[in-house]
Amino acid sequence: MGYRITAKTDLSPIDYFVEVEAPHVAKAWKPGQFVVFITNEKGERVPMSVYKAENGKIGMFIRKLGKSSMQLYYEFTVGDELYSMVGPLGKPIKVKHYGNVVFASDAVCGQAENYATLKAMKEAGNYTISIQSFEDAAKVYPEEFLAKPVADEYYLTTDDGSVGIKGNYLDVVKELIEKDKVDIIFAGGKLGTLAKLAELTRPYGIPTITTVRQIMVDGTGMCGSCRILYGGEVRFACRDGPMFDAHKVDWEDVLKRANRFLEQEKLARERYLEELRARGVV
Amino acid sequence: MPKLIKERVPTPERPPEERVKSFVEVNLGYTFELAKQEAERCLQCPVEYAPCIKGCPVHINIPAFIAKIKEGDIKEALRIIWNDNTLPAVTGRVCPQEDQCEGVCVVGKVGTAVNIGKLERFVADYAHEHGIEEELLEEMIAGKECGKGRVAVVGAGPAGLTCAGELAKMGYDVAIFEALHKSGGVLTYGIPEFRLPKSIVEKEIDKLRKLGVKILTDHVVGKTVTLEELLGEYDAVFIGTGAGTPRLLNIPGILLGRIYSANEFLTRINLMKAYEFPEYDTPIAVGKKVIVIGAGNTAMDAARSALRLGSEVTIAYRRGREDMTARIEEIGHAEEEGVKFEFFLNPVEFIGDEEGKVKAVKFEKMKALDERDKRGKRKIVGTGEYVTLPTDTVIIAIGLEPNRIITEEATGLRVNPNGTLVVDENLMTSIPGVFAGGDAIRGEATVILAMGDGKKAAKAICDYIEERRKASA
Repeated sequence: MGYRITAKTDLSPIDYFVEVEAPHVAKAWKPGQFVVFITNEKGERVPMSVYKAENGKIGMFIRKLGKSSMQLYYEFTVGDELYSMVGPLGKPIKVKHYGNVVFASDAVCGQAENYATLKAMKEAGNYTISIQSFEDAAKVYPEEFLAKPVADEYYLTTDDGSVGIKGNYLDVVKELIEKDKVDIIFAGGKLGTLAKLAELTRPYGIPTITTVRQIMVDGTGMCGSCRILYGGEVRFACRDGPMFDAHKVDWEDVLKRANRFLEQEKLARERYLEELRARGVV
Repeated sequence: MPKLIKERVPTPERPPEERVKSFVEVNLGYTFELAKQEAERCLQCPVEYAPCIKGCPVHINIPAFIAKIKEGDIKEALRIIWNDNTLPAVTGRVCPQEDQCEGVCVVGKVGTAVNIGKLERFVADYAHEHGIEEELLEEMIAGKECGKGRVAVVGAGPAGLTCAGELAKMGYDVAIFEALHKSGGVLTYGIPEFRLPKSIVEKEIDKLRKLGVKILTDHVVGKTVTLEELLGEYDAVFIGTGAGTPRLLNIPGILLGRIYSANEFLTRINLMKAYEFPEYDTPIAVGKKVIVIGAGNTAMDAARSALRLGSEVTIAYRRGREDMTARIEEIGHAEEEGVKFEFFLNPVEFIGDEEGKVKAVKFEKMKALDERDKRGKRKIVGTGEYVTLPTDTVIIAIGLEPNRIITEEATGLRVNPNGTLVVDENLMTSIPGVFAGGDAIRGEATVILAMGDGKKAAKAICDYIEERRKASA
C-alpha cells in the first residue's frame, strides 16, 4: 500500500512541508494526535506531528535533521509514495471553550501543532493567541504556513531580533501572564524550552499542556521506548500523550532520555550525507 | 507392536560458534530420511487413547500424520495437520512441545519422547519446498464456498491469522486490520530470525492472501477506525490484539538510557532489522555487558539476540534454575551459545552514570521456600543481602499485558482487572458479535493456544452469523 506525496515545499533552509495521501488517517485525526511514517522498506518508523488533516491528506512540517527526514527531502518528490503511514496515534487534546487559549512553539513540529491546535480552538469559540519563535529571519516560514490565520492575537519572535520581537516565546508568555490574558497554554517544540515554560507557569497555576517528544519505535504502546515519569509514575508518550500536563512531567529525565541514540543518529546522518555528496545532491 | 527405539534421531543444528555470529536459523530440521527414521519410533497409539492428541491444545491427529510420514506420503500428512492447524511451519518451531504432546508421549516414559515438533516442522517445510503445499492449497481454494458473510479481524498475529484462515475456508469474506506495517504479530516483531525465519511467517501470510483474506496494515483499531465502525460494516469482529504492552519494573532508575523492554529490544531487531544498521535505518545501542532480567522464552530470545550483536550476556532470574519458564530447547541453546545464568537475584535499583545511562543493577539475593505458589513454582523470599552487578545494557523481560488502545476506545468491552477481555464459553466478548482470543483474553500464553482460540472463535462466529441470518429471515 503506497501513500502518495501530493505536495512538498521549503519552509526555511532547514524545514520543509510535505503532504501525503492517507485518507484512513486524515479521516480520524484530531488535534494532539500524531502519525508515524516510513519512507521505504529499510526505513525507520518516524513519529511526526500533523499540520493539517484535510481532504484525505496529512500535511507535516519536517526538519532535515536525521537520515529519514533528509531522505524524504532529497529523494522523494510529488507523486512518489511512502512505504507506510499509520495513525492517528496518541490521545487527542480536549477541544472546548476555555477562554483565552495560547499556543507557543519554537521548533518545527511545534509550529505545525500551533496551527492545528489553534484552528480547532478558534472553531470552538476561544480567543486564540499564537506565539511562534524562530532562530532568525532566514528561518521564519512563509506567511501562508504561519499560524496567523487562526490566531486572534499573533506574536513572532526571533532569537536575534532580525524580525519580530527579540527573544523567544517565554518572554511573550511572561508578559501575557502579567496582563492576565492566559486561561490555558499549549506548547510544542524544543524540550528545554518546554521545561522552562513549565516552571514559568507553575507559580500561577495556569494549565500548561505540552508535547513531550520521545524516541518511539511502534507508537502504539508496544515497546515502552517513549516512557516518561509523570506524577511519579511511568507513562508512555505515544499511548498516554503525546501532550501532557507539563507541571507533572519529570523534565530532567525527559531531557536525558531524548539523547539515547545520539551516536547512532549521527552515524546514520553522516553516512547518508556522504552518499548525497558523492551523488552531487548536496 | 513395533520395537521401541529409546533414543531420538537427532536434528542437525548449526554449531554454537558459527551461529552466534549471525541471525540464521539454528536448527536445520530433519531430512526426509531422518524424518522417516524418527517416525518409526511412534508406537501409533489408537486415536481415542493417544495422549499426544490430548496434550495438543488444538488436538492434531499426531499418530495419523506420523504414520503418513512413515509411508512417505507427505501430502496426506499435511492434510491431516491442516485439519487442526494451518501454521505447522510456525508451531513446529515455537510450540513448547515438552509441556504438550511430547510431554505425555508414551515413548517418553521409557526413553525420549517422539520428536513430534520437528516432525510437524518437517512436513510443513518439505511440503512447501516440493510444491505439495501449493497443490493442497489449490484443492482447498477450489472447494471453497464464498459470500457467506463479512468478518473483520483485529490483529494479524497467531490468533487473528488462524481465525481469518478458518473463516476464509468456510466461505466468509475476511479483512484483517493490523496496526504495524507488517503482518505476523509476535511472530514478526517478537520471535527472532534464528528461531523462526521471517520468510516462513511471510509464506504463511501469503497462504491466507491466496485464500482471499484481505490484510490492511497501518490500521490501528481504536484509533484509525473504531470498533463501532467495524460492527457497522461487518457481520462480526474477532479481536486478536495479543499482549503487546511490556511490564516494566517499578524500581528507581527505570528511565535510564540503555534499559530496554524486551519488546523494544526485539522489535528493533526483528521488525526493524536494527542488526543490519546502518543498512537499515533503525538503530540499537547495545554495550559489551548485557543483563537480561527474566527467564521465559522472551528473555532467551533477547539474550541470544544480544549475544549475536557481540555482547557478553547474563540472565538474572529471581527464582531458581528449575523454575525457568522458557522452552527447554531455548535454554539449552542459550547455554551452548555462552549465555551466563544467575539465579535468585531480584532487581531493586538501576544505577546510572552522569550521562543518564545504566552502569549497574543492584539485586537482592533471594531464597526458595518449600511452599509452592498457584503455578507450582517454589515461593521465594528476600534474604536482605544485596549484590551489585556492573552492566552497560539491561533488557527487561518480565512479561507483557494486553494493549489498552481498543478497550479505552470501545468502552462497551468488559475488561478483567489484568487488562484481558472478558469472554463467554464461545469466546464472545460483552459486545454481541465481537469475539476475542489469544493473549488478548489470556494475558500471556503461547502461539498454539492463541491459534486454538482463533479456530474456536471462527466456528462460533460462523454459528453466530448463521443464527442471526435465520432469526432475521
